[in-house]
Amino acid sequence: MAVRLYWETGKRQFQQQLAYRTANLAGLVTNGFFGYLRAAILLAAFAGHDALGGYQAADIVTYTWVTQGLIMVVSLWGWNEVEKTIRDGSVVADLAKPFSYLGYWLARDYGRQAYFLLFRCLPILLLGQVLFGLRWPEAPLTWLAGLVSVILAVTVSFAWRFALNLLAFWTIDARGISALAGSAVLFLSGFVIPIRLFPDWLRPVVLALPFASIIQIPCDVFLERFQGAALLGALGQQALWAAVMLGGAQMMVALATRRVITQGG
Amino acid sequence: MGTLLDALHRPQDGSEVAERVGTLRRLAADLDLYRRLAGAYVRSEMQYKVSFFCRFWAAFLGNIIDFAALAVILSRIERLAGWSLGEVALLYGLSAVCFSVAEMLAGALDDFDQLVQGGGFDRLLIRPLGTLFQAMTEGFSLRRLGRMSQGPLVLFIAQRELAIHWTPDKALVLLVALASGVTIFFSIFVLGAVFCFWIVQAKEATHVFTYGGDFLASYPLDVYRGWLRHFVTFVVPLAFVNYYPALYLLERPDPLGLPPWTRLLSPVVAALMALLAWRAWSAGVRHYQSTGT
Repeated sequence: MAVRLYWETGKRQFQQQLAYRTANLAGLVTNGFFGYLRAAILLAAFAGHDALGGYQAADIVTYTWVTQGLIMVVSLWGWNEVEKTIRDGSVVADLAKPFSYLGYWLARDYGRQAYFLLFRCLPILLLGQVLFGLRWPEAPLTWLAGLVSVILAVTVSFAWRFALNLLAFWTIDARGISALAGSAVLFLSGFVIPIRLFPDWLRPVVLALPFASIIQIPCDVFLERFQGAALLGALGQQALWAAVMLGGAQMMVALATRRVITQGG
Repeated sequence: MGTLLDALHRPQDGSEVAERVGTLRRLAADLDLYRRLAGAYVRSEMQYKVSFFCRFWAAFLGNIIDFAALAVILSRIERLAGWSLGEVALLYGLSAVCFSVAEMLAGALDDFDQLVQGGGFDRLLIRPLGTLFQAMTEGFSLRRLGRMSQGPLVLFIAQRELAIHWTPDKALVLLVALASGVTIFFSIFVLGAVFCFWIVQAKEATHVFTYGGDFLASYPLDVYRGWLRHFVTFVVPLAFVNYYPALYLLERPDPLGLPPWTRLLSPVVAALMALLAWRAWSAGVRHYQSTGT
């Protein structure tokens, strides 16, 4: 029964996004334009080099376009919907609903991100193919692994954003803190440049952090850089972080609900 | 700048009063008004000090990482399309300074779609002040100083890496280029807002030319394909923000093969852009119909 509720919540969110067709088209244009610029700059950097950080020119172009496709799917530019409901008080209604507060928002996020995966990420990849020619997966199984990896990426990114939003229960400055944490994610997730191009002393640390699960790992899965056990290891790392961070977020919910005082009226 | 602000703040009664007051005094009054309107937003922003501090650093970090990434890559490859780290830093720093100053002045226009959609623009129309002037101050924010801080920092790196032989003409070209670059980006922000008068839901597409313009201009045009280089020279003249002035400062040849005097055209291009933006804004205001709710 509960599963049905979450399913409907997600579906509703998916349908709600369908209404913003013009906005999505505008977003496609912008993501595509930046994709073009970023790919052109990196291609120029690779000219005369066989490979950097284990990536060949075709890999890095594909990497760039996948990251452009994932921007909306993992809400890289920030997300403060929960913070808004805490600020205006409507959070009380959500907390009173007969299912898990975290589950409710996670279901909404899955619905929204499924929309962006279909109507933002896929068109961006097709555009990248037309403009530059991408390196597509050779093994059919990679598509399945890629999908699992993206779902886990969404989960990790959700837990992180959700936890930052929950700070609004304690401070009026949650939005600023989210913005700062968000700009760190741009770099630590491997969005700006792949973590594998980072200096040697920094790379292992950043690869071990949860943020690598948001961009770097899904991109590497798509590029088929993991084989067999390594693939399971990469997905396992994502799953582990997803579980740990969702657990942390759930603990925050428990602490926060103790603080809520509903003003009658 | 005086004429620009005059244009921005056009008293709508068109009275003799405005004519009697000298241009200079009107400029001073405009600046004072701008300071006061912006100051109101700064005061409200300062009610959330931690938030302000965080958003300042978010704006700084969010932008400087692009340069950090470039430095990381150039540490491995040495040259990007024939440009050294110092030379790219010059391009990057010039664009960053121009864009961040323009964003400080007109960045509020990036939320202009909300003003149109929510009917807030009606409120601006009934006040005895230029509409563009008001729209620019709605949502003024000092957190944009974060983006502004990275430009001088990168220019400092450029100056350290490069041995530019400074002469009076180069200094003049640099100063004029900075003013022109700010004007060009400012005009692009205005044109982006004008776009909302017609298509309010597609505001994000204007980021192609605002934030995308800054991103594009931060790297040597040589990395892009021919059509894009022509586009940013002849259509949306981003090349005149920093690329042509940089060619002059570095005494480099022009890959498009235009005559040498084109690299001095920035102020002319900037003036044309400002005129275009002002005309477009006026046309947009005439076209505007309230949301009716």
